[in-house]
Amino acid sequence: MGIDRYDRMGWKNKTFDALNYAFLLLLMLTMIVPFVNVVSLAFSSGLASMRPEMILFPKPFSTEGFRIVWQSLDLWRPFMNSAVVTVCGTAAHVLLSSLAGYVLIQPHLPGRKPMVSFLLLTMMIPQDAIMIPLYLVNKDLHLLDKLGSLVLSGMVSGFSILLMRNFFASVPYEMSESAQIDGAGTMRIFITMYMRLAKTGLATVALFEFVSRWNMLTAPVLLINDPAKTTLQVALKSMIVDTSSTSSSFLITTNVRMAGVLITMIPLLAVYPFVQRYFMKGIFLGANKE
Amino acid sequence: MKTLKKYGPFYLLMLPVAIYFILFSYYPLVKGLQTSFQDYKLMGARPYVGFANYETVGHDPTFWNAFWNTLIIGGGIWIGGFFAPLIVALSLNEVLHRPFKKAAQLILYVPHLLSWVVIGGVCIFLLSPDTGFVNLLLGKLLGLKPINFLAEDSWARGIMIGSAVWKDMGYNCILFLAGIVAINPSLYEAARMDGATRWQQLLYVTLPQLANTMKVILLLNTLGILRIFDQIFVMRNPAIAGKVDVLMMYTFQKGIMEIRIGPAAAASFYVVLLTLLLTVAVRKMTRFDEV
Repeated sequence: MGIDRYDRMGWKNKTFDALNYAFLLLLMLTMIVPFVNVVSLAFSSGLASMRPEMILFPKPFSTEGFRIVWQSLDLWRPFMNSAVVTVCGTAAHVLLSSLAGYVLIQPHLPGRKPMVSFLLLTMMIPQDAIMIPLYLVNKDLHLLDKLGSLVLSGMVSGFSILLMRNFFASVPYEMSESAQIDGAGTMRIFITMYMRLAKTGLATVALFEFVSRWNMLTAPVLLINDPAKTTLQVALKSMIVDTSSTSSSFLITTNVRMAGVLITMIPLLAVYPFVQRYFMKGIFLGANKE
Repeated sequence: MKTLKKYGPFYLLMLPVAIYFILFSYYPLVKGLQTSFQDYKLMGARPYVGFANYETVGHDPTFWNAFWNTLIIGGGIWIGGFFAPLIVALSLNEVLHRPFKKAAQLILYVPHLLSWVVIGGVCIFLLSPDTGFVNLLLGKLLGLKPINFLAEDSWARGIMIGSAVWKDMGYNCILFLAGIVAINPSLYEAARMDGATRWQQLLYVTLPQLANTMKVILLLNTLGILRIFDQIFVMRNPAIAGKVDVLMMYTFQKGIMEIRIGPAAAASFYVVLLTLLLTVAVRKMTRFDEV
């Protein structure tokens, strides 16, 4: 479709275009203005951030909020917990999903069909609806208050497995057959051939998982009680929302809270360019379930 | 024997995944069902009590309150989460200035990436009555008195619906745009030859051609209605709890806060049942299977 899609000369078209741009601009402002507000508040001094003013520029500029939230309120601890859980969980998720995806592309594997049904059925079970029994299972396994429980929660998913299978399916099977004839073993073919050729798939699954794990809230709320093991989202929630229950002796000023919000956002904004690149591929391949 | 040798390693590779799903998906489901028929105590005997837990929950006005809250808030998000991104996608499609279009997509998607703690926390601040940006702006532009959006019954549900629709707009918008891009360009050419205006092209080509994308989005969003939790957990407060506490919140409070595991499990299975019902209803309504 080129520029000549419409006759853009008439005044009606021009008015429409103007209104259209204005609408989208307004919508974008509902996202940009709060963000600018949050950033400016975070970089303001404590006193300035508490004043009833529409602040879109830090005045006076100060990094006091970050210092307090990181050191005095010990946000570094939940930050590290979240980082550990996110990195380990994502690595395990990618590994298990790709292994299972690799199994599912073996064309003559006996029992392949039931395996797929077994996986599809897990996608129908609403994970949140079984949160009480999940809590009980974790309790029985003595996983409560351990970061391991958060790595285990959602360690593999039917969605990711099918996604990886669809990526692997684009690698010609004949290649692995000829490698087999040359004497390469199952794992060797998997690592040297599939893992290398389906890099896009690995990146897609890894990014999706990274984002959802960093944002995970239900699982830590359910499974972690020990303040030393808490994750960033839970810590931020209690800092921002449960104002009355904070036991600290001093008042948490707005710049401190907004610094916490920014710190929580940074890892996601850092991976955002990559998410953009892989997002579409992921949706389309994920939608194809045989 | 030969097949086992050939395929043995594959079954071994699948083993951890199978164990995981049995332990963390299938077993909890069965265990939940079992628990819902028990007088479940964390220690000691757990006698079976028939449908008593289901009756307890069914006679609990808090449950029904949560049920209606879920339907209203979830329904609002379902409808708004369909039309808002559709309108934005159609509007973006009319933009020919590519950098602007790209920038808009880039910015609109960001809220979907962020957690409800971040979005909800920022909302609470922006909407606060004394120092919140929204009230300051309304005061300056319209001279309105500060509104305590998150403490007033009449605003609470609207704020929940609005913020959820706003957060996921960029995501669903991309799905719609993908559907629009897939439309055969020759349809537009033919319409133009017949003298169709821009508006007519949108009405008679774009919208009908998007029918399948619409069905998929409606169905995907249906599953979300009953799963609302993070948002309410972050943005609720005692003043509006009665208006915004949804079914998942009810389960959470019964099971984890009050440790009444049996009724909580029963409530969960009402949710599972409702999920099935809603899915079937939407499939029928959109004639999903007749595509």
